[in-house]
Amino acid sequence: MEVLNKKRRVFVLGGGISKFAAERVDGNMRDWVNEAVLEALEDAGVDIQDIEHSTTSYFSDHFDKQLKAGAIFHDNIGMCPKPNVRVEGGGATGGLAIRNAYAYIMSGLCDSMIVFGAENMGRHVPSDVAQQFIALASDTDWEVQVAGFYIAYYAMMMVAHMEKYGTKEEQFALVSVKNHRNAMYNPKAHYPMDITVEDVMNSRMITYPYKLLDNCLLSDGAACLIFATEEWAKKHCRTWERKPTIEMTGTGCGTDFMRMADRPHPYPGITHFRGKRMAAEQAYKMAGVKNPLEDFDCFEVHDAYSGVELVSYEDLGFCKEGESGKLMEKGVFDLGGELPTNTSGGLIGFGHPVGATGIAQGVEILRQLRQEAHPKRQVELNAKRGGMDSHGGTGTFCVVNIFERRD
Amino acid sequence: MGTELISNLLEIFTAEDPMPFDHPEGDPWKDFRQIMRIEWKMEFTYRHILGKYSKFFIELANKRFFTTECPKCGKVWGIPRPLCADCLTITRWKELPGTGVLSSFSVSYFVPAFMKVETPYVLALVKMDGADTLFTHQLRNFGRVEDIKVGMPVKVAYATEPVSHPMLLMWFEPA
Repeated sequence: MEVLNKKRRVFVLGGGISKFAAERVDGNMRDWVNEAVLEALEDAGVDIQDIEHSTTSYFSDHFDKQLKAGAIFHDNIGMCPKPNVRVEGGGATGGLAIRNAYAYIMSGLCDSMIVFGAENMGRHVPSDVAQQFIALASDTDWEVQVAGFYIAYYAMMMVAHMEKYGTKEEQFALVSVKNHRNAMYNPKAHYPMDITVEDVMNSRMITYPYKLLDNCLLSDGAACLIFATEEWAKKHCRTWERKPTIEMTGTGCGTDFMRMADRPHPYPGITHFRGKRMAAEQAYKMAGVKNPLEDFDCFEVHDAYSGVELVSYEDLGFCKEGESGKLMEKGVFDLGGELPTNTSGGLIGFGHPVGATGIAQGVEILRQLRQEAHPKRQVELNAKRGGMDSHGGTGTFCVVNIFERRD
Repeated sequence: MGTELISNLLEIFTAEDPMPFDHPEGDPWKDFRQIMRIEWKMEFTYRHILGKYSKFFIELANKRFFTTECPKCGKVWGIPRPLCADCLTITRWKELPGTGVLSSFSVSYFVPAFMKVETPYVLALVKMDGADTLFTHQLRNFGRVEDIKVGMPVKVAYATEPVSHPMLLMWFEPA
């Protein structure tokens, strides 16, 4: 992998988020994208007229009822006739959009890129229809027809993890407690809540071992990030000298078989995210990360379900296989801990409008590295580096991206 | 009003600003807070081809469980695939005894739409005897939920009543 052309570097100039909520009845996807874009442009201090390219991030034509939605987002913000590309990687779509911006700018196809993403998932269809739509992102000939759906797939992964390592339901309930709590300091979050492990354990069983509060949310919302080279930023970005400089220094992508049933044993078997491990290895190598627990100040982790966050810790190299539950109990990943994760609230507390999610993770890392987060969720900067991990399917498609502050 | 002319109209209402904390100067979108919601119904029927693995479903109707074996590397995929994903060799059909061991499971008290299944229902990953990878299907007739254990022997059971999809010609049961 020879991707580091040091002659070009990619910087994160600004970000915006249109509130994540159970249902945004005040508008639809195009309206939310407009809001996120306006906030990002103001944050970056750039004019849309100067931006050369856009990337569209959304996941589901079923949810969004609009093919080629990117054309609408792009023309709504006056980007025509400039180029646009849509990316799609299930739950990793937003992470992939960030990676796409990096690739386009590093290749020289453009010097600046605006990335916007959204999803209309809220309550415009009943939740059983929503789960069926999401299930269509698993194998529709082999898995969906037997009433397979994502909570059930992830529950099978977690039962296997519990069986193999002795991981306890209370340990992954702690993830839900942490992420709902972190969301209390994020006014754009869908589901801020002060809850206990008992609350999670006593919430309605959806699919054993996952209770209602172990699950992430179907949210409406949008997010936007703006990337550019240093040369471009110096010329077009009014905040370049005023705000801390944030560089994108690493990106990785990995995959696994669509069906868990096809994955090799013993690793990843049905317990681990092999694609995530590969994505992390690539991104860490690019950014020079040796010990992730020390080399990051914060990390947004793809907590589609509480147990997924634990397993992700292991495949992101934060700890050895099977040890994530114990570290969670020690508070390693809490605010004030060794490596605070999902300071935004994550998918569980902030929300999961799929096409926006990975981009929102990037906005959170940008805010943290600039020390602009709410004081109660602002992390201490030591390594001055933050990471984000998003995945689609059952870890079928994984992206890890890294931002660093340059002082 | 005239709105009664709209046959799929659900409601017209005034939305609140979802981000007042960002708008100390007042709502920038105040001219756009009147919202209409409509019902939008879409129905499609597809004539779907079940790919080169159609024989699997044809044999299920004969109460036989087939999968594929790679003639080059010898891998037997639990779920048949016409091309071996390990060595890109075109595979051959192979019959399995239809017995196996439960690798993992989940117990659902919630059903996605369009699926007709009684709750709680159990989704299972099974290591089929004679195969190198797993197979996904429901486990039925398991007695009590507490009796389901990883590692328990299971077998394929075949439908005798009409089914709505060929995949439902089978399921797993405790062996």
